[in-house]
Amino acid sequence: MSALARPATAPAPPRRRSSGIRRGEGLAGWLFTLPVIILLGVFLLVPVLMALWVSFSDWNGNGSPLSPSVDFVGLRNYADLTTGNGLAERNFGLSLRNNLWYVLLVVPLQTVLSLLLAVLVSRRLLRGRGFFRTAYYFPSVTSSVAITVLWLFLFSNSGAVNAILGRLGANGPDWFNEPTGLWAVIAGWFGMTQPAAWLNQGGFLEVTPWEWLQGPSIAMFAYVLMAVFTTSGTFMLIFMAAIQNIDPALDEAGMIDGASGWERFRQITLPQLRPALFTVLTLGLIGCWQVFDQIYTGTQGAPGKTTLTPAYLSYQASFGSQQWGDGAAIAFILFVIIVAFTLFQRWVLRDRPVSRRRIRAYQPKAPQGGAAS
Amino acid sequence: MTRHTARGLVAVGALAAVAALTLAGCGSGFSSGSPSSSSGTGLTSSKKPLTIMIGSSGDAETTAVKDAVAGWSKKSGVSASVVVATDLQQQLSQGFAASAPPDLFYLSSDIMAGFADNGSLKAYGDLLKNKADFYPSLVKNFTYKNRFYCAPKDFSTLQLVIDTDLWKKAGLTDADIPTTWDQLAADAKKLTSGKTKGLVFNGEYARLGVFMAQAGGRLVSADGTRAEADSSQNAAALDYVKKQLAAGTFAYAKDVGAGWGGEAFGKQTAAMTIEGNWITGAMSADFPKVKYKVVELPAGPAGKGTLQFTTCWGMAAKSPNQKAALDLVEYLTSADQQLAFSKAFGPMPSVQSAAAQWKSDNAALTPFLAGAAYAQGVPTNAGASDVVNDFNSQLATLKSSDPATILTSVQKNLETVVKK
Amino acid sequence: MSAVTSSRRAGARAQWTRVAGRILLYAALVAIALVYIYPFLVQVSTSFKTEADAANDPISLIPQTWTIAAYRSLFQNSAYPTWFLNSVIVTVFVTIGRVFFSSLAGYALARLHFRGRGFVFAGIVAVMAVPGVVLLIPKFLVINQLGMYNSYVGMILPLMVDAGSVFIMKGFFESIPVSVEEQARVDGAGAFRIFWSIVLPMARPALITILILSIQGSWNELAHFIVSTSDPNLMTLTKGVASLAAGTLGSGTQYPLKLGAALIMTIPIAVVFFVFQRKIMNSSEGAVKE
Repeated sequence: MSALARPATAPAPPRRRSSGIRRGEGLAGWLFTLPVIILLGVFLLVPVLMALWVSFSDWNGNGSPLSPSVDFVGLRNYADLTTGNGLAERNFGLSLRNNLWYVLLVVPLQTVLSLLLAVLVSRRLLRGRGFFRTAYYFPSVTSSVAITVLWLFLFSNSGAVNAILGRLGANGPDWFNEPTGLWAVIAGWFGMTQPAAWLNQGGFLEVTPWEWLQGPSIAMFAYVLMAVFTTSGTFMLIFMAAIQNIDPALDEAGMIDGASGWERFRQITLPQLRPALFTVLTLGLIGCWQVFDQIYTGTQGAPGKTTLTPAYLSYQASFGSQQWGDGAAIAFILFVIIVAFTLFQRWVLRDRPVSRRRIRAYQPKAPQGGAAS
Repeated sequence: MTRHTARGLVAVGALAAVAALTLAGCGSGFSSGSPSSSSGTGLTSSKKPLTIMIGSSGDAETTAVKDAVAGWSKKSGVSASVVVATDLQQQLSQGFAASAPPDLFYLSSDIMAGFADNGSLKAYGDLLKNKADFYPSLVKNFTYKNRFYCAPKDFSTLQLVIDTDLWKKAGLTDADIPTTWDQLAADAKKLTSGKTKGLVFNGEYARLGVFMAQAGGRLVSADGTRAEADSSQNAAALDYVKKQLAAGTFAYAKDVGAGWGGEAFGKQTAAMTIEGNWITGAMSADFPKVKYKVVELPAGPAGKGTLQFTTCWGMAAKSPNQKAALDLVEYLTSADQQLAFSKAFGPMPSVQSAAAQWKSDNAALTPFLAGAAYAQGVPTNAGASDVVNDFNSQLATLKSSDPATILTSVQKNLETVVKK
Repeated sequence: MSAVTSSRRAGARAQWTRVAGRILLYAALVAIALVYIYPFLVQVSTSFKTEADAANDPISLIPQTWTIAAYRSLFQNSAYPTWFLNSVIVTVFVTIGRVFFSSLAGYALARLHFRGRGFVFAGIVAVMAVPGVVLLIPKFLVINQLGMYNSYVGMILPLMVDAGSVFIMKGFFESIPVSVEEQARVDGAGAFRIFWSIVLPMARPALITILILSIQGSWNELAHFIVSTSDPNLMTLTKGVASLAAGTLGSGTQYPLKLGAALIMTIPIAVVFFVFQRKIMNSSEGAVKE
């Protein structure tokens, strides 16, 4: 194939801008971006630096944190939270446990559900596609405050969910007041009610192994359901956009080769969705670790501190208990956790070279004595 | 790095540095500019209107306070507005940190120490004209590091509130009014039927503490220097409550779908509840049809016991109009005004001169006053309220936990607090 | 002959499985859609019920007695109209600001060559990575220091710039052919003139995207209003409804009132959503074959 003539591009702009038709461009460029730079700088960059300082200081909420009476205390706040052996460490440990289970449940559930919905709604020749799209996306548009209020009603002890479960013959739990862990409840169905004694000793961050393993409380699980309800629509749209971009010829080639629907999905469609999957997972992780609005509106950490999240704890420690240093330290530790999770997920989904065993099938065969080709 | 990017870096870096310096300048300006009026008796004075923040128990209390403040406004010519807080402690913390606190606010004895420690409060107690009239025990509650910070606005105790109709329906008479723990349990059992539970109360230390007091235990020693949470008496009290919760005769308010004991009582999902003086205002405002009677709580293994709560009128150190605020406080704590509050939502006046009148006005509430003789106060050490919050979150699962384990953790947390 | 019959039968069977598959597909989609829609229907119906009715029969979509007591109580006993007004004020100004500043900055980053452009862009991308939760306390501190606490300025200004919007605008401007601007430049137009009169009108789709995202973001914002105000007169809908949920208006669960409050709060956003539906969904979908 002959090389295509290079399409005509705009001539590379001259390096010197001080003369010619692009004279005021440098100045204009700075002026145009100045509002954004100033506002982002003042309200994003400087606050982060200020909070970093507060996390290393003993500011107690009176006066300015930059005043001379506030002292530098090094890593004391961080030490309090991770090794302090007191209430601060336990609260932090509990909040991490709650949010970890939340992330572990929400991210897979919302990814799978939104992918499923996207695949179903993207099928060709579907009538009423617009209606289904709208129905699934609408919850994502509403405010988390409004949805939390609705959820508090639906999942109250005598609410709609329990009424429906009652009609089906099951006895629903008192969702938002039930602090027992999900796995503990399920284990209870199989008769295992008492954890082994060693599970109640010691623990990480002042939280016993049994408390770590119990899973999210029923109250937290109600929040998990709410998160899946409200975010599946947004991610469904992202997947739908990616599915639209898949060349249908590939799928047809698979059909000709005799692959079943499921095989075609797994081997052809899914790998092509990798970028979208990456986006959805990243957004999901980042969002899940910052649960705040729902807790503030709904249960404020109750019952039994099982819906406490690091974001809410950071707020409560600072604005409630006046432990500003602890609150800022929690926020930064959370930042590190989010970055770590995102990097880990990126590493897991990286493009790996095909394994040697597989690649042999595609490499040209070396001629072997006596073998017929 | 090209020359252009390097210059860009320098430019933006300079911008950031300038911004930071400006803020630092603003910061120190703020701290040096504010009057340091927490030391010395100098009160600030200005024409600014006053803001009063309260944590209300219901409409009755809100209306009463608003009316009282309006009356004072008219008399003194200083305008004042009343704000009802949803989360008083958090809103106070935020207000202090933002240097925009309310001028006067409800301040309960358990959170005062923290705010006093960081200089947010003005210690005006010694400047009160009616200082001598306050009950000494209440004054002690609001004296921290030898400074009398704020005027007690009233006090309440907890006692047993009984629904007389449900009582009669269960076939109980006055002779059955419980005087021991066993009698209380038996009565509750008879009163539990269908959706109604015998005794319902909030699942927190501020209610279960009465049982601990009746067993002879307390969280912190009377002088506030020793943590005593893990005593066998406290464990006995929690065991008793746990047993009754398991039997279904006692219940937490949220387990019967109520926000507090009074709501369950008003909706008659509770035949009895443990509440304080404010129950009168709530019942007359929200549940006027329910007929009730207040009796003293039963005695436990160590005799009678209950908890006492008192709140004071906190004054912000940064308030620009402290003189007017002090005047308002003296007005609101006067005997007449306190008796008016009492009529609206029930608490007992903090001034001794109003005692006799209160007793004759509120014959039905004498058990509350009787409780004052043997009531325990809540811990007032700085940081104790956080420990109590943690205690409350553990009490939420009392039905399935071991009281001794709960108390051991509370003891550990309290020990760090009393050392300060 | 038999071969034709059997193949016809096979064809008929295949046809049948296809139809059954279709029915299953629609059934699944409809069932899931019902699960997504039902909560909102319950919300509407409960807001028109009495409290007792709401407690006794939480699933029915028709109230036993229709009553607007909840709405009456909402408007009389709380400052709901004030909250609504505040939300509107904030949303309008934040949206104007965001659309204007983001398009300006996006254009500059896409088309104007100035020293440090790469660094500024890198900075914006880096800022996008900072999770919002880290900014809760710090923003409070800065707003405080600048004296903006408890003011409309403090509520509006920090929200006026959004790194994501700049990113979107930049991407869009890069897709516009350079020739258009080159022509205008040859004719002697300055940078702002080119931006305002020529490029911006072409950017309608992206502008609408940012408009919708900004309306949605600022109307539904909660954390920022918590840290920037404590004055009840400045309360917005999100903060106000959150305080209702915590139970300010007297004791009692009052579900009709809370749900009614949440419902009214959702209506403006729902209207914007339905009006701009196609734009919202197409911007992340590409052309959809209906």
